[in-house]
Amino acid sequence: MNTLELLKEEIEKCVRCGTCRSVCPTLKAIGRETACARGRITLVEHRLKGSLELSGNYLRHIKECTLCGACKSNCPNGVDTVRIFAGARAEAVEKEGVPYAASVVFKNLLESNRLPWALKLANRLQGVLFRDAVASSGLLSRFPLPLIGSGRLLPPIAKTPFLELPNVKALSGHGRPGGALGKAVRVAFYAGCGVNYLMPEIGTASLDVLKRAGVEVVVPVGQVCCGMPAYAMGDRATARAMALKNLDIFESCNFDFVTTACATCGHGLKSLFKDMLGDDPELKSRVEAFSKKVRDISELLVNELGFKGKGRGPGHETKVTYHDPCHLGRAQGVREEPRALIASCPGVSLEEMKNPCSCCGLGGGLSLVNYELSMEIAKRKAENIRSSGADVVVTACPGCMVHLRDGLHRFGVNAKVAHVVELL
Amino acid sequence: MLSELVKNELKRIVGTANAAFAREELLCYSYDATNTLYPPDAVVFVKSAEEVSLILKMANSEGFPVIPRGAGSGFSGGSLPVEGGVVISTERMNGIIEIDTENLTAVVEPGVVLWEFQQEVEKKGLFYPPDPSSLRFSTLGGNIAECAGGPRAVKYGVTKDYVLGLEVVLPTGEIINTGVRTAKGVVGYDLTKLMVGSEGTLGVVTKATLKLVPLPEATRTLLAVFPDLKDAATAVSGIIKAKVIPSTLELIDGVSLKCVEEYAKAGLPEAEAVLLIEVDGSREGVVKDSEVVERICMEYGAQSVKSATGKDEVRDLWKARRAISASLFRVKPNKINEDVVVPRASIPELIGGVREIADRLNLTIACFGHAGDGNIHVNVMYDKTNPCEAKAAEDAVTEVFKLTVELKGTISGEHGVGVSKARYLSLELKPEAIEAMKRIKAAFDPNGILNPGKIFPKKAAEEGAYMVGAEAASGVPATGL
Repeated sequence: MNTLELLKEEIEKCVRCGTCRSVCPTLKAIGRETACARGRITLVEHRLKGSLELSGNYLRHIKECTLCGACKSNCPNGVDTVRIFAGARAEAVEKEGVPYAASVVFKNLLESNRLPWALKLANRLQGVLFRDAVASSGLLSRFPLPLIGSGRLLPPIAKTPFLELPNVKALSGHGRPGGALGKAVRVAFYAGCGVNYLMPEIGTASLDVLKRAGVEVVVPVGQVCCGMPAYAMGDRATARAMALKNLDIFESCNFDFVTTACATCGHGLKSLFKDMLGDDPELKSRVEAFSKKVRDISELLVNELGFKGKGRGPGHETKVTYHDPCHLGRAQGVREEPRALIASCPGVSLEEMKNPCSCCGLGGGLSLVNYELSMEIAKRKAENIRSSGADVVVTACPGCMVHLRDGLHRFGVNAKVAHVVELL
Repeated sequence: MLSELVKNELKRIVGTANAAFAREELLCYSYDATNTLYPPDAVVFVKSAEEVSLILKMANSEGFPVIPRGAGSGFSGGSLPVEGGVVISTERMNGIIEIDTENLTAVVEPGVVLWEFQQEVEKKGLFYPPDPSSLRFSTLGGNIAECAGGPRAVKYGVTKDYVLGLEVVLPTGEIINTGVRTAKGVVGYDLTKLMVGSEGTLGVVTKATLKLVPLPEATRTLLAVFPDLKDAATAVSGIIKAKVIPSTLELIDGVSLKCVEEYAKAGLPEAEAVLLIEVDGSREGVVKDSEVVERICMEYGAQSVKSATGKDEVRDLWKARRAISASLFRVKPNKINEDVVVPRASIPELIGGVREIADRLNLTIACFGHAGDGNIHVNVMYDKTNPCEAKAAEDAVTEVFKLTVELKGTISGEHGVGVSKARYLSLELKPEAIEAMKRIKAAFDPNGILNPGKIFPKKAAEEGAYMVGAEAASGVPATGL
């Protein structure tokens, strides 16, 4: 069966009631039916029937989706829209190949757990290409760059990636016997690209919190990108290779839980590995055994380690608002845990913003496909953050953090952006 | 097909960026919630009455159909371009122009989403009651065209009760204003009422003046569980007889309960029927009324009556209620969704009759809806790939309609006739009445360019399928369907 035929049953479940119009962030920004799940499903359905070309127009509508899953979780018929759109992108990639720039990045992220050459180069060049943004810890691009454009706030690339830090390498943990539950809990930390290359400080803060929570932490050597970016862009072969590599590496060491500070990686490890790795029964049981041990770090701290109330807080009175990453709140159902950690920090008051679970605009590769649209979505978020009056917007995903910082900077909102673990 | 000349002129009127001709765009404007597809030849995203006027004038001279469309969430095909043509999307006309807290009115553009309007109005302590299940995504323009109702109709009425005046572009292109901004007004024919519910066949609404009411101080939501569907139906009139008018009085049968609970996980019980009841008013009034409702439900055979506590529980219950229609597809892949209305006291008879029809034809028919005002959504579930079942489903609908008319009801309470009910029109209306309506249509739209193929059955043969006179005399259709 080809990629689209596998989606047939899912596509036919859509009855075109229009409920998705009420929650889709791209519909709100674009204001046209082509930008909501019902429209996109109609297009994929015609593609499946063979009555629609793989036109530029079609590809644009299929790619201009953040895969945030709001339509999926509100659909009265439980249509798995994310699966349909990821599948439609995979079909496009089968026919057209992966865009060159993306394929270079993916190849490097797969082949190497060291800083890929491109990023090394970027680290050297960033002083030339970017200027420091005044109000925030980021870089503004000086010139229009391929894939990036100008005037965009980007996080600086780490001098030394998280996984290369000496204290992290010391935790590689291979060959040591694992502590089973009941004795010391052993936790394997999955870094993910955001933490590894852009925000090693979140990785360091995570290790610190886990240590204070009294567990043994290992950071398995050789872990690579979780495969979610490749999956979202339709590059199934790369996503599969990444998932397989990570599975091999984590299986080689003993642990009670796998945890990550990235909502997207967590969703990938928990739920989408099985999609990436397909129907092979042997792989299936391996994935199941692995995936059930995966916890987002807030989830692990609150539900398994009883860490609530032990956070240090920022050291002064701070008004915090929380942004639910789509891949944590909706995709993993983890909403209460990060809030519990935040609210129990000394000096912190948690002020909910309007629509805390609406997408920041980054997801599904949208910020690469249509940056202006992704910023239009970020604008609503920025306004909601502004109205909450918070000093700090806390979230649980490095991807969201990058986009929120960019959006808050662009729309002149003075809130800082932090990860939950940085508050602890 | 549109000529290049027409296409260029459309681009000139609305701007190139606001006219779409690509197949991808056309497909996305080819359907509504009836899940049938008729691709148009163009979609234009208008911004003003003047643009609509120019398009309609050209449609008359060049002879192409024009179809107004809001969110495409209608249940009768009102926005379907069944004969092709140009879809006028109101999605860009989405401004709330004013909310007047002294005169309790609001002026809106047609593309405003109902929910967003209600949120703004409620911020000012006011209330716009009409609440179709599509309230989070349907537009006010669509609501006006179809005269949308909803659960609150039992106490507050429907869309037509809240439209004071309209700015309408007539099918021939003239821009007119109808109605008033006041509580009263009898100057000339009531064109406002004529436009509301005319399904986009008499004009394109480009602005509406709506009536608002004060937001009730308190609301309480109750869930009464019944082991017997007929008892629940009887309790509905019992409550009204006790001189309590709830703000909503919804009946949900066992089939619907099971389907929607799978989706919503709102904690709905497994039962033969529930009544979802809301009372609103002053704080004291709400307490008193809910006590009466609870007592009456128990008297009529409820096994339990529970008051929803907390905002989340109420929200979950309503989310579940509004998702019933779409979630029913979990039973069968296809359904015919009808919204018949009977006088309230006849609901038990209607429900009993539907059950009998379902059993006899071996179908699953789900009943739920606004029992408080006699409006029951009868959803006949079937699989269209099974010809016997598809035929049985059609027969069931015809029988339900006949039963409805016998009980002195109407075959559509709030969805409209559109395409899906056109051939049943003569079940309810006499030929003379249909003829009068056609004369009105012809007076407004001499060239038949605005939303053609709606309400009136196309072929004389179809029209003759049912004769009201023959129905009354023999109880059988004059000709077979």
